[in-house]
This record gives sequence, structure tokens and C-alpha cells, in this order.
Amino acid sequence: MELSYEQARAELEEVVRRLEAGGVPLEESLALWERGEELARICQSWLDGARRRLERGAEPEQPPAS
Amino acid sequence: MSAVPLESSPENPLPVRTVARAIGSWVARLGRVWMEGQVTELARRPGMGTVFLTLRDPAAEVSLRVTCSRALCDTLGPQLDEGARVIVWARPEFHLARGALTLTAYDVRPIGVGELLLRLERLKSVLAAEGLFAAERKRRLPFLPHGIGLVTGRGSAASRDIQENAARRWPSVCFIVREVPVQGPAAAAAVSEAIRALDHDMSVEVIVIARGGGSVEDLLPFSDEHLLRVAAALTKPLVSAIGHEQDTPLLDLVADVRASTPTDAAKRLVPDLGEQVHHIGVLRRRAWRCVTHTVDRESALLVALRSRPVLADPARDVRRRSEEVVALRARSRRCVEQRIEAAQADLTRATSHVRAVSPAATLARGYALVQDQAGTLVRDSADVSVGQPLDVRLATGRLSVDVTRTMPAPLNPPAQPSQDQAGAREAAGRQGRTS
Repeated sequence: MELSYEQARAELEEVVRRLEAGGVPLEESLALWERGEELARICQSWLDGARRRLERGAEPEQPPAS
Repeated sequence: MSAVPLESSPENPLPVRTVARAIGSWVARLGRVWMEGQVTELARRPGMGTVFLTLRDPAAEVSLRVTCSRALCDTLGPQLDEGARVIVWARPEFHLARGALTLTAYDVRPIGVGELLLRLERLKSVLAAEGLFAAERKRRLPFLPHGIGLVTGRGSAASRDIQENAARRWPSVCFIVREVPVQGPAAAAAVSEAIRALDHDMSVEVIVIARGGGSVEDLLPFSDEHLLRVAAALTKPLVSAIGHEQDTPLLDLVADVRASTPTDAAKRLVPDLGEQVHHIGVLRRRAWRCVTHTVDRESALLVALRSRPVLADPARDVRRRSEEVVALRARSRRCVEQRIEAAQADLTRATSHVRAVSPAATLARGYALVQDQAGTLVRDSADVSVGQPLDVRLATGRLSVDVTRTMPAPLNPPAQPSQDQAGAREAAGRQGRTS
């Protein structure tokens, strides 16, 4: 199942937190890093998609002052 | 007179006069009654002693003909006119000659404006007590009604005002118009019927009753109890747009929304297209900005996350670990090297010591070592025999000798070399312990 942006970002933050906290065995830290890369890719693709959709919509014209 | 129905059959029909008299006698039994109604027709024919008027029920399609003496009519003057509310004391009579029912008035009392207002106040408190004006009964008007039921006078200014102003605000507005008399005796019943019909019309979402300003009497139909009850029972929201700001027919209190003028009613019925377009534009822009802002913020956050050293430079950890390994290797190497050096130093010390106590030095001083063929040191002349070959070790070189004579030993202290050897062993032992 595809992760939502919020799920992916929350998990990515958790991965970074664990990596930064240290004390993780090397093998596990590599697995964590790979997971982090995967999560960052998911987040990025969500944001890229959102930006494309926003660009398709373009910024609406400033309505004339009432 | 008997109350028994007249007996008749096709074979024995009754003459007209008998039937007419019977009707007349039935009607005559009603006697004199007080009744109230509204004058719809008044015929004062010059030269005639009798005035004819039509009295109508304000809430129903019911009328009666009343005759009144000229004298009685004249005393009332202009108070008795078409549209006036009156209380009449009259007696129903059946005129045999014309077969017509009329009421002969003995007294006619117009109801004045003061009395009418007093009645309105009474009706108002009755309806208020019933809760017909309660705020919780009020319904909200639809934001944009598909069809607006408009009850109004034919070609009235109110009708035009409301339709024009509504169309100016919302060009595609749709009115379903019911034209009715908006004053006079027929008004209340006609308006009631019109709003009831519009309430059943599926295309109508809100009903508005519009009328221009007028006198208190002109606006009386809009305080009619029957109309008010019909209005209160509507399933659709009702807007009252009667008269001017200062006019307050009771319909205003029953309606869900009271508009002060037809123009005001138009404002409340439909939204303004321009305003809505502007509003939607503002909302679209706000939504776009909001989402764009969110995406920007999230992008920045993701960039920040990705640039954290643990993600941006994952090799750092490996590097750190490999540096650790290198450091550990160096440490272990250093450790072993130190051990080897220490051992080497020990060895050097021990060697020099050994050298110091070895027989070589003793030999250098001029002593010699004597060994038999088996290599055993000879310490006692008694251990060898004459002619036995012996080996003599000097400081430099060796000698092979034969024993020519043996001599027993004199009583002497023990030989010096053995003492030295014991001392050297002892010294070596001490060195070994201290290293």
C-alpha cells in the first residue's frame, strides 16, 4: 500500500532520529538509511506531484477590489 | 309552523307558492342577528327609500345581500362605503315575489380604525400565545432558490421592484408569479389560496408576498387570521414584503423573514452575482496560496531532513567505524610491539648478565676447564686414572691431554669456579624475576 505523505514523513523523521541517536548496530543502521532514502523518495514524489498540480491550476487572478 | 319536510311526489307535486312560503317561514324563524362583514357593494339609488349593500365575509367567498333604509344609511354618511367593516343587526327575509333572500337591516355600525387596531392587538396576543411568532419557528431562506413564488397585485410597482432588483442581483432568477387582489374584501382569501398553491408547487423554494404601502384598512387583509394561519402552516419559507418600513401587518410576524420594502425583499431572496464571483475569486486565491505555502514548507522540511548528515553522508558512519578499526589495529599493534620490545630488552639484559657470569671470563683470567671424553667436568683427581685422555678448555682454544699422574687433593677450601657459577645462577635468577 502506498504511504501517505504524512506517514512517509513521520517515518522518515523517526529514521533520522534513530540514526542520529546512534547506538544502532552497523547492519541495522544501513537498513535504516536505505529505508530513509526510500521514504525521502516517497515524500519527494508527493511534493513534486502536488507542485505539478498547482502549476496546472496556476495562481488565480487577483479579483478586482469590491 | 311544522318542521316536517314537505311531502311531495311526481304524482302529487307541490305548487311553487307552497314551497316558497315554506322557505319563507323557515327563514323567518332565524329572527334578528348581529353579524360582521365587509361592504363590497353599495347602491344608493336616488329617489329610493332603500339602499342595497352586499356584505362579504373577509375570509371566505361568502356574501349576503342586505337592504337598509335610506335614513339609516344617511346618518352614517361617508363611514358607510365600499370596503368598510360593519356590524349589522338584521333579519333574514325571503321575498316571495322574487324568490330572493335578503336581510333587512335595523342597525348598521361601522367598525372604526381604533376598533380595528384594537382587534388586531387582540388577535396578535392570541397568535403570540399560540407561538405563531416564535423565533424558533423561523426558517432560513435558501441561499439561492430555484424558483421564487411571488404573490402580488397585478402590474403593481411592488411586483416590478422585486423582480427587477432580484434580476439585477442574480440575472437567472426565476419567479412564479401569482397575481391577486391585494386589497379589499377578496384579498385575504385570494392571497391565502395563492400561497397555498405555491407551497404545493415543486419548482418553488421560497414564497414572497409583496404589496406597496397603503392605509391601515388597505393592509387589513394581511392581518387576517385565516391568512395568517395558512401562512404559518406553509412548508416553505415565507417572506413578507408589505407596505413601507412603518407598516406592520401581522403577516410580518408570522413570516420567516420580514422585508421592509420590495427592494429589500429582492436582496434577501437572491445573492448578488458580482459579490459572489468576487468572493469565490478571493476564496480560490486563498486556497491556492494556502496549498502552495504548505507544499513549499513541506519541501523545505524534506530538504532539511535529507541534508541531515545521517542521510546526506551515510558513508560517514562507515568511515567512523573504519577509523575505529584502524585505530584499534594500531593500538593492538602498538601493544604487541611494546611487548616484543620489552621482551627484547629483557633478553639483552639477561644475555649480558649471562655473559658476565659465564666461564669465559674465568677462563680469560687463566683458569681451564677439564672434561673427560663424555664431556663431564673433572673436579676431583680421584675421578680420573692415569693414561685417560682429557679435554682441556682454555680461554682461547683447547688441549687434548693424557693423564700421567694423579695426586689426591690436599685439605683445601672448595674450588673457586664452582663458587662463581653458583653466584652467576643466582644473579640470573634475580634478573628474571625483576624483568
